[in-house]
Amino acid sequence: MISIQRRSGSSLRWNVVCFSAAILGAFLSSATLLALSGGDAVKAFSALFTGAFGSQNALFGSLAKATPLLLVGLGTVIAFRAKIWNIGQEGQVLAGAMMAYWASLMVGSLPYWLALSVIALAGLSGGGILGLLAGYLKTRFHTNEVISTVMLNYIVIFFLAYLLDGGPWMETGVTVAYHQSPPVNPALEWPELFARGAGKLHIGFLFALAASAFCAILIDRTSLGYDIRAFGSNPTALRFRGTNVRRLLLVVMLLSGALAGLAGAGELFGTSHRLRAETLLGIGSSGIVVAMVGGLRPSGVMLAALFFGALKSGAIYMRLQSGTPAGLVSAMEGLVLLFFLCAAVATKFQIVRSNVHA
Amino acid sequence: MENLLSVQNLTKRFGPVTANDGVNLEVRKGEIHCLFGENGAGKSTLSSCLYGYYRADSGVIRFKGEVAELNSPADALRLGIGMVHQHFVLVSNFTVLENIIVGSAETGLFLTKSDARRKISELCENCGIRIDLDREIWELSVGEQQWVEILKALYFGAELLILDEPTAVLTPQQSDQLFRILDGMRKRGLSIILISHKLREVMQSDRVTILRKGRAIATVETSETTAEAITSLMVGHKVNKHVRDRSVEPTGEVLAVDRACAIGEWGEDILKDVSFNIAHHEILGLAGVAGNGQKELFETLMGVRALSSGGFSLEGELITKPTSREMLDRGIGFVPDDRFLEGLIPEFGTAENLILGWQRAREYCRGPFLDRRKMDALARRKIEEFKVVTASADLPVERLSGGNAQRIILAREFLHSRGLLLANQPTRGLDVAASEFVYEKILEKRASGFAVLLASEELDDLLRLCDRIAVIFKGRIMGIVRPEETTLLELGMMMAGDASDVQRTVQ
Repeated sequence: MISIQRRSGSSLRWNVVCFSAAILGAFLSSATLLALSGGDAVKAFSALFTGAFGSQNALFGSLAKATPLLLVGLGTVIAFRAKIWNIGQEGQVLAGAMMAYWASLMVGSLPYWLALSVIALAGLSGGGILGLLAGYLKTRFHTNEVISTVMLNYIVIFFLAYLLDGGPWMETGVTVAYHQSPPVNPALEWPELFARGAGKLHIGFLFALAASAFCAILIDRTSLGYDIRAFGSNPTALRFRGTNVRRLLLVVMLLSGALAGLAGAGELFGTSHRLRAETLLGIGSSGIVVAMVGGLRPSGVMLAALFFGALKSGAIYMRLQSGTPAGLVSAMEGLVLLFFLCAAVATKFQIVRSNVHA
Repeated sequence: MENLLSVQNLTKRFGPVTANDGVNLEVRKGEIHCLFGENGAGKSTLSSCLYGYYRADSGVIRFKGEVAELNSPADALRLGIGMVHQHFVLVSNFTVLENIIVGSAETGLFLTKSDARRKISELCENCGIRIDLDREIWELSVGEQQWVEILKALYFGAELLILDEPTAVLTPQQSDQLFRILDGMRKRGLSIILISHKLREVMQSDRVTILRKGRAIATVETSETTAEAITSLMVGHKVNKHVRDRSVEPTGEVLAVDRACAIGEWGEDILKDVSFNIAHHEILGLAGVAGNGQKELFETLMGVRALSSGGFSLEGELITKPTSREMLDRGIGFVPDDRFLEGLIPEFGTAENLILGWQRAREYCRGPFLDRRKMDALARRKIEEFKVVTASADLPVERLSGGNAQRIILAREFLHSRGLLLANQPTRGLDVAASEFVYEKILEKRASGFAVLLASEELDDLLRLCDRIAVIFKGRIMGIVRPEETTLLELGMMMAGDASDVQRTVQ
């Protein structure tokens, strides 16, 4: 008889098998989807790959797309490792961008690096404050953070809509309203890392790398990381053993939101240079996917962010080359997540052939 | 004598674990047959196979001489095998009568209560059960609810009744009553399988089958053996039971609790005017049926539950509004009764669990960073000293046995506490050897001057370990007595709330 049993340990070989199967499964099902919609899967995928990694420019473009996903993913890791289900990254990204934009309106006279720091800090605090608010609702009123964070998303989105559509940040002096702000002060744009023409890889990428190291060290090597992991496994024991779990929850929500906020600020000042909902929406939810696919580990999130960044970046080229519908990329993202979640479960089990006694 | 049930070569595996390994068991008609063994010896698995809850991987079960196909509890019931679980399955706002006949095949669409009433009254009389059939379940004591479960099984025609740890929730008096009822049933020719790990009960049975590591080691006539012999069979070797050293006298005062009150979620009294004190070199026992405020008392002393009035002082210093942080910093050691919920982080390894509560202490940190080297060194030391069986210091403790998990908690609490140890059911779920290890360590702390509050449901253990025993009932201390001046009967009465004759408090 063949039965499925829970694994007592983990085996590297089996993990590799599971995740390879997940990648294969995701691509095969995406290819099926492509074929069904009348496209040429081989051509589309080769265009996707070329668009993502085919040149230095393409690679930098992928890294640029990966940057906000990595930041949001890391923030998600901090919250999810504590089993605090912050899923308000969409709103936190927007709040970070809005706070940073607001700051940029006031720091024009400061020296460049100081102004840049203020803007980055404002991004961090915008997302952080929104996270903190959900955390406060949870500690004070036992509001489920899944609900409060999602609801806060809507408040932020509509607030932004007001600001950009008839509000104080609306671009004036044009005949058609685009629901966007005027460009940020060009002197305050975030510097690009490489010479002109080498993709839009801005300094936010370095921030994201630094944040990755920060998170890896925080989670595995510090007392706060110990608290975060312990809270995720057993908050009761942590409370019984002298930790102020309310304060911990607030700290986690603050950090988690702040990283998402920084992603929003980076997109605004490094890439789009205009505050506009369309360029920012979707980063938050993709970031959550990145965190899950990355196994809630900073190193895994780096790989997953690169993968999804490449997917997004290559998709543009794929669309141009093969006329593949843009929606397919979102579908692929979802498929990859599904297959990875299945693989993550599969790694915990093993298939056993057992002899039955008569 | 004729065998009602015979089990041959029964084997049941759960994955790699063999819970029952070629077990043979014979139960005669009209006997109380005890299944005795440590936790994990396979008692519950065996009884679940007999009741049709699990299907044995191999082996033959014969009931009344015929091979029994037990695919579900319904099959077992149809044959005449009934089971009374530790947790009762009763509808609390139904009457006794309704609970018994509910689900019986004979009721059909309309309940014909009068016939059922006659039949049940007869059963009650035969077994010596006195119970009002028209009272609702919530009005009954735990002991009486258990009778209803027994009646239910008998009403369904059980000739073999399996009782799983029936006295775990009873006071000594209620246990005695239960055994009188079981005795009545045996005389009427019914057979009873009693699962227990309490020697006192085992000795009241006709025969005992001792299980060890999934195997049936031996079946002996109770009248021809001794409690010591049975224990040795169960453990596989002789066990030395520790007793306190009476030459060490308690002195001074470490903890003084003064009229502590706590109120529950619905405004009910959880603790009411609880007062006691504990000296250096003293173990104060806390006896009581589970759920009478013991857990809440420990929680208030650990600063995780607020007092509504009253308070306590530590080393003469009044503690107001304590937090768990403050109590840990004051050097209180705490062994919670639910070790995986309140004492450990299941996903953490031994090394990380050993510093739970001290993850910011200077000993284990360098600035904001954990000092892994110091933690690992500590883990190596403590794993050896406390004989923790684990593959590595990083193996998640959720994969360790209850005894090993408890050793980690003890190691941590003994290392970080100074002066006061609070231990709530520290041996719950542990086998004899592991329990004695825990007691040995607690007695060492007493010898070194600690004050210890020790709650346990094992009265025999409290009597040999404690300097004084406080009895708690419905959040009230019914009295504090010395082991040498009390009896099990007296403790039992106090545990049941009847303290009119015995209420006294010794200092």
